[in-house]
Amino acid sequence: MLQRSYPLLFVIFLFVAGFVSCDTFLTKEPELGETFDQPLHGLTRAQQLAFARGDEAFGKVFSIREGLGPIFNQASCESCHSGDGKGHPRTNLIRFGRNVGGAFDPLYDEGGPQLQERSIPGLVPETIPAHANAISIRSGPVVFGLGLLEAIPDSVILRHADPTDRNNDGISGRPNMVMPPDWLDVPRRPHVGRFGRKASVAFLLQQVVNAYHQDMGITSEFLPTENPHPQYGTLGDDVPDPEISRATIEDVVAYLRLLAPPKRGPITPQVERGERVFTQIGCATCHVPSMKTGKHPTIVALSEVEVPLYSDLLLHDMGPQLADAVVEGEASGSEWRTTPLWGLRLLADHLGGTPFYLHDGRTSDLREVIQFHGGEAAQTRLRFFALSKEDQEALLAFLLSL
Amino acid sequence: MRLLRRVCIIRMLLATLSVASGQDVRVSSADTTVRIQQPLVRGGYFDKPFITRPFGRTAIGGYLEAIARFERTEGVTEAVSFEARRFNVFTHSVLAEQLRVAAELEFEHGTEEIKLEFAFLDFEIHPALNFRGGILLSPIGKFNLAHDSPLNNLTERPLVSTQIIPTALSEAGMGFYGAFYPSIGSRVTYEIYLVNGLHDGVVTNAEGTRLAEGRGLFEGDNNPLPSVVGRIAYSPSVALEVGASLHTGPYNRYKVDAFEIDERRMLTMAALDWEYRHDDIELLGEYVIAGIDVPPALHGVYADRQRGIYAQLNYHLGRGWISLLPRSKFTLVGRYDIADFDARLQGDATQRVSVGLNFRPVEDTVFKLDYNYHWHWNRVNVVERSVGINLSVASYF
Repeated sequence: MLQRSYPLLFVIFLFVAGFVSCDTFLTKEPELGETFDQPLHGLTRAQQLAFARGDEAFGKVFSIREGLGPIFNQASCESCHSGDGKGHPRTNLIRFGRNVGGAFDPLYDEGGPQLQERSIPGLVPETIPAHANAISIRSGPVVFGLGLLEAIPDSVILRHADPTDRNNDGISGRPNMVMPPDWLDVPRRPHVGRFGRKASVAFLLQQVVNAYHQDMGITSEFLPTENPHPQYGTLGDDVPDPEISRATIEDVVAYLRLLAPPKRGPITPQVERGERVFTQIGCATCHVPSMKTGKHPTIVALSEVEVPLYSDLLLHDMGPQLADAVVEGEASGSEWRTTPLWGLRLLADHLGGTPFYLHDGRTSDLREVIQFHGGEAAQTRLRFFALSKEDQEALLAFLLSL
Repeated sequence: MRLLRRVCIIRMLLATLSVASGQDVRVSSADTTVRIQQPLVRGGYFDKPFITRPFGRTAIGGYLEAIARFERTEGVTEAVSFEARRFNVFTHSVLAEQLRVAAELEFEHGTEEIKLEFAFLDFEIHPALNFRGGILLSPIGKFNLAHDSPLNNLTERPLVSTQIIPTALSEAGMGFYGAFYPSIGSRVTYEIYLVNGLHDGVVTNAEGTRLAEGRGLFEGDNNPLPSVVGRIAYSPSVALEVGASLHTGPYNRYKVDAFEIDERRMLTMAALDWEYRHDDIELLGEYVIAGIDVPPALHGVYADRQRGIYAQLNYHLGRGWISLLPRSKFTLVGRYDIADFDARLQGDATQRVSVGLNFRPVEDTVFKLDYNYHWHWNRVNVVERSVGINLSVASYF
């Protein structure tokens, strides 16, 4: 009996041994620094636990029964930050307002400044008022490395500011000095904004609470009242407020604070050449290669480390092609925070193969991205297109190594 | 003599009953009539037909399933775990030649989930016309009607039959079924029922449009109109059966008393299933498409079109290889599965390839060893890969 079973036993053995021994059949772990969702090095166990809890909360998809809405954009954090990367154009959101001669009205009473284009059944979503003339389409930005950005002292950022262009290089970066909201337990004075496309938020906690409230219609202890609907006033859903706990908010803040930026790609001679060109033609004036964090009281991984962000976190006038006429804090309708370039090489991997660059994902061609740079960056753009083909290719190769 | 034996049997039975029920029973052997005092509560516990007419009309059976599972996602081992997945009990009672009651009580994941999967009464008017009412398995796709673990040759159920058609989909309803025989060897079967249908949970859950989240309307419908579900199957010979089925009706609560609070929103599933058997080979599969009228305010988050397919090949071998178990056999299995949760979007889909080898020491018991490789695309078309290796056992009892 057993002799006749030998072939079968052999097949079973091959079946098990083949699968257990082979990464191809058992999936392969991504290398360190090759994705956007990895933690910083050197975390304590307690920090790792907070990271894991926050990871789960960040990925949680809210249902209507759990408090989603009554008006909202998306049902989870990850919807707008795919794999902790950038948002897909399908999940873009819209900011709007009325800009008359530079005086901006965010149209709070009419649902501004953010359009919630979805609602729970039985209600109607918001619409853009007919007289709104400033409409800005926004993709969610990448969310890795936010703890590092937060840990850069104001003074370090301000060192790069030159609002009156004293050095006459045509670049006049300035900070978006923003007052914290009342519910935030921080000193009541203007702080250097650093989060968001126009750097209109200075603190990670504020960013997270606002995102839950505005993007998903999820109330918390910090903002316990549902987002009002312009036509129907403050509406409720069937879930008592606050809909998530303070602990959940803190877990998500911890997660974002501890997310590491990806590592650089291979540095080839072409990439090295591109990096030199990047500096020579002036890109690095705004896309500052790195800044150093201050001493962090509790997280060693954030303390006094170089942050290779390729941004000065300051506002720059980017010209009419990128202008959206929406004012946020001190940021005018044509000013944008210098977008950090880290992780550029992996953007496409987190968006189904297409990187969707710029604040609204309008292009996936880096040359076009540079072409869209106007205003303070106009001269640098001209210098790029005056480069030899090899130098242009080298610069693009450098960007795609970040 | 025969009469005496009958009286003795009746005495024994009634004595047993009297002990069980605590009631006074008197038997007169003079005229062989039996008189029982009134029960404590007429129709109460001790006056149930299965006690007062205890002649073995009810059969009890069931099946169990237990699994050892290894899971890995993107190179990170997620779990090596054991699961007591199912312990299901069937009852089947023949009340009369034309009347039957059947039920399945399901204990899943230990006792985490306990539910009555079906409980219905069948009344045969004619072989081509039978009434069925109660909680019934919806005839949408063949797999929803026949999905017991000992029947499946792989541990996991097909994606299309769990993620699109939410097997086991059982609903409260009534209708008819029957069979016709157009020619020698061929058969046409049908089932058609009016049911409560699914509810708003289809689009109020966290995962996007998920039909499984709309199950559970057993206490009444959430809207004034029932859904209709039916399947027709043609079998030209014993070897082949092809079935087509449809489930359609409103799923949302659109009316409260006399007030219309929403538009009437329809949900429709259509399925095609097939099964072919030739010697030791079986080919089976199912294709499903679902259309859901999603409120415009939820477009972009909840899908209005879903679809999926599975195709499976079973090859039986090694019958009698083990002489101690002459009825034993082995089966090699391969299956391809895909469920597209948003057919209008590139992404939001899941695909799986499974291979397995199983051993049946007897027909009703199976040990399964299988491997599956799983791709899951999120809504922006980023893929996540995972694998699972299952060792499971399932058996009828």
